[in-house]
Amino acid sequence: MRALFMGCFLAATLSVAPGIGSADTVVSLKDPVHDDDGPGTYKYPTDPVYKPGTFDITSFAVKTRGSDVIFKVTVRSKIKDPWNSRSWDGNGFSLQFAQVYIDTDHKQGSGFCDGLPGLNVKFRKESCWEKVVLISPQGKSRLKSEVKQKAAAMKDGVVYPRVTRVKGRTLEAVVRAKDLGGRPAKGWGWQVVMQSNEGYPGRNDLLTRKVNEYAGKHRFVGGSDWNCDPQVIDILMAPGAGTEAEKEAQHRALKFRCNEADPDKSPLVELPMVYP
Amino acid sequence: MKNRRILAALTFVAAAAVPVAATADIANFDLAGRLYTKWLYRNNDSQGVLTYGNPFWPDDIAGDNGVGTEFELKVFGKVSRYVDAYARIQSRFGEMWQDWWESGERKYGGELNTSGDSVGLNRASYIKLRGTWVRATIPFMEGWTNTVTIGSSDLGMFNPWSIGKVRYIDRDNGKGIFIHGLVGDGIFSYDLAMIALPKLYVGPWWSTGIGDPSLTRPFFSQDWAYGAKLTVAPDWGTFTLVTTYTNDIEVDMTDPDAVGSLYGACTDDLGNPIAGCEKDHAVDYFSRYQNLVATLESQIEPLDWLSVNTLFGYSMGRIDPRLTANGVALNQGVSPVVYKDTDSYAVRARVEFADPFDVGLSFKVEYFNIGEDWNSIFGARREADVLLTDGLVEGVQLPTLNLANEFIDFDEDFVESCIGWHGGTVMALYARDALDVDIEGTYIYYNTNSQNRDVDQTYPDFLHSDGFTDTDLYDYANTTDRGRDPRSVYRRNQDRRTVIAVLNLRYIFDALEGIELSGKGKFIWDRDYRSHTTVDDDYDGRIWMGRVKLGIGVVEGLKIELGGQFDWWDEANRKGTLEQGYGDDRTWKAKAFGGLTFNYEGLKFHYRLEYLHKDQARERDVNQVWKVFRSKASLEVNW
Repeated sequence: MRALFMGCFLAATLSVAPGIGSADTVVSLKDPVHDDDGPGTYKYPTDPVYKPGTFDITSFAVKTRGSDVIFKVTVRSKIKDPWNSRSWDGNGFSLQFAQVYIDTDHKQGSGFCDGLPGLNVKFRKESCWEKVVLISPQGKSRLKSEVKQKAAAMKDGVVYPRVTRVKGRTLEAVVRAKDLGGRPAKGWGWQVVMQSNEGYPGRNDLLTRKVNEYAGKHRFVGGSDWNCDPQVIDILMAPGAGTEAEKEAQHRALKFRCNEADPDKSPLVELPMVYP
Repeated sequence: MKNRRILAALTFVAAAAVPVAATADIANFDLAGRLYTKWLYRNNDSQGVLTYGNPFWPDDIAGDNGVGTEFELKVFGKVSRYVDAYARIQSRFGEMWQDWWESGERKYGGELNTSGDSVGLNRASYIKLRGTWVRATIPFMEGWTNTVTIGSSDLGMFNPWSIGKVRYIDRDNGKGIFIHGLVGDGIFSYDLAMIALPKLYVGPWWSTGIGDPSLTRPFFSQDWAYGAKLTVAPDWGTFTLVTTYTNDIEVDMTDPDAVGSLYGACTDDLGNPIAGCEKDHAVDYFSRYQNLVATLESQIEPLDWLSVNTLFGYSMGRIDPRLTANGVALNQGVSPVVYKDTDSYAVRARVEFADPFDVGLSFKVEYFNIGEDWNSIFGARREADVLLTDGLVEGVQLPTLNLANEFIDFDEDFVESCIGWHGGTVMALYARDALDVDIEGTYIYYNTNSQNRDVDQTYPDFLHSDGFTDTDLYDYANTTDRGRDPRSVYRRNQDRRTVIAVLNLRYIFDALEGIELSGKGKFIWDRDYRSHTTVDDDYDGRIWMGRVKLGIGVVEGLKIELGGQFDWWDEANRKGTLEQGYGDDRTWKAKAFGGLTFNYEGLKFHYRLEYLHKDQARERDVNQVWKVFRSKASLEVNW
């Protein structure tokens, strides 16, 4: 027991030590609860591991400390690890997969305007992204392999955290500032796309879980069986205050339309960024 | 479907190849395939591709040397808007590559020969239908939906305390009728289930009658488990009530209509008519064994960083000694049930503070109190965990005697029973930047502490209840002094308490593809005063363990791992008897290991090699030494 108390004391001391404990908050946004329904029609897969609130973003924060940038994505329910991610070189959770898109220049058409494969989204012309941070339960080795295989053209924009971990209802990722092209600055745009980790993804899906028209044990329901629906469960909307209006705005932003004659030519929804 | 185009193309190719054949509409199909190969080697002479097989029904796939492959095909069908279906076929795992042409025949009475017709289906990779279900979604009214599944399920809708999610290898074996209801936006939901009891393991004698010496004609086709779960989930918490009931019934053999009835002619042994005995072409039933488990769990998360979980449980066991032979007395104390009617309780309360001051420091506190007679006969057998602690065997804890440390390999977690555990765990976790540190302190007092407990007729002690368990070198028959069976929670004389302290460290260096350095230190002080009539049998075990591991991301997709572990076990009075005395034993183990993980274009390869040296100095027995090299590799692709 002595070791335990000594350990607590040491950790507490480390935490409050001057210069070590302080982190500067660069971004702090809220997202409304109960908007984990994509365009308003999506529902969770039917398997009991998908507890209510699992994919419902409630807040997003970016902090800096030294040369590190810390991303925190908080959801409505406690994050669990029902598939024992440690046994597959994972990060202590199983279900969520958050992709943090960053527009570092806010220039028309600059950067990547397509989302990563599996999301079926684009970004608005003025909000194309330069970097995306993958907060995934999968280990870095699997992530890199998937990106190389399915998103090779975007690989320079993909940032893999040094550390990904869980703290209660929060996913935390630690990234080197240099990997983002520098410390986050005023004027940067942010978007958090919440998806679900799929260990056995489709041929063109980057570890994302499909949204289908009808219910499935491990498939979201309420979308389309064609690739015309945004496979996105929750996103941020400006101004990031967590209001009901943002929920409605999300539903409008993710509203999709399928071209019945040729589904592959359906227009994909275009996501906005939030510029705090 | 996302796969429609591929499937349509396949259909086209097939149609083109056989233009006269009728073309099936396969647009409602989704297919998923998987190939898995495993190599297992050790410097001994056992053959097979599974480190720990089934100890009860010894199979020919268990062993330490071999390589085998399995194939799996899942077929998902969309019947209509509200109905879908699923089937999974899979090849039997166990055919070694060296088996070559084994046909599945068994022409020579099990004799191994070179005919290719000698060792049976187990070694022939035959394809078997492993699971099927049909599911209908029925929207009763706006905001109220019922999903009815008929067929296979992994039983994951309840919890480990009641009906547990079945282990991975059994994931489609459980079959029944399942209703999942959802009202509103998930604020109120329910699950109702009626599940066919496995004749294999749920009940006394690990069966629902088969193999029980007291039964001449086991009857299992009407054995069912029933489950109900109600969940209320307002924004501020989730409350879940689970009630499950397993009922193993047998035929009343005094009923004159029963086949093999004791009184088929309605006369007694002297030939006199039995009053009231009359054939009516219907048989009566009795319950051989019943287990009811109810839990009420609440999960409240008032703040982002605060979560409070409480669980209260009740467990009832009813055994009919007329229909159940005494497995404790007749099977050397190896039984998954206490041989008497039981009523017991469980309480668990857990509070988690997730970095409340935003400085990287979190805490978890847990209180647990599981009654001495608790049992969940259909509870989770592995691959779940009900307590925070690292435990004694560095694995997981489950509240059942029906654990399954089988069908696993040497590198997988063991599970131990926590029946009777009463105590608490405190954890402090420091996680910031690239550093993770966590410290655990656990104290366990045992509700199973007792003097002169009846382990001859009532309480199963699993024959081996002494000494620290060696999960590195486990053998079911305990021919190598591997210590306590992880199911052994009852001892004739026990007055035990345990302290567990664990320290975990991890740091990730920003070099190459990431270099992860981690370490673990663990100390267990296990004290059992055993019989109060003497101090000569008092057990004092001090177990020290230290491990260091280095994981290096070498290049994209390739990660290698190197490490070592050292154990020192100082056990006073580890093993013996009151009559013959006990011996002080000392054990040290050293392990060096290395391995790699390789991900390439959807191919996953994993390899682990270890050398284990164990040296056991025993006071009353011959000393023992192990020098073990062993390895495991796996290759998996999914499409």
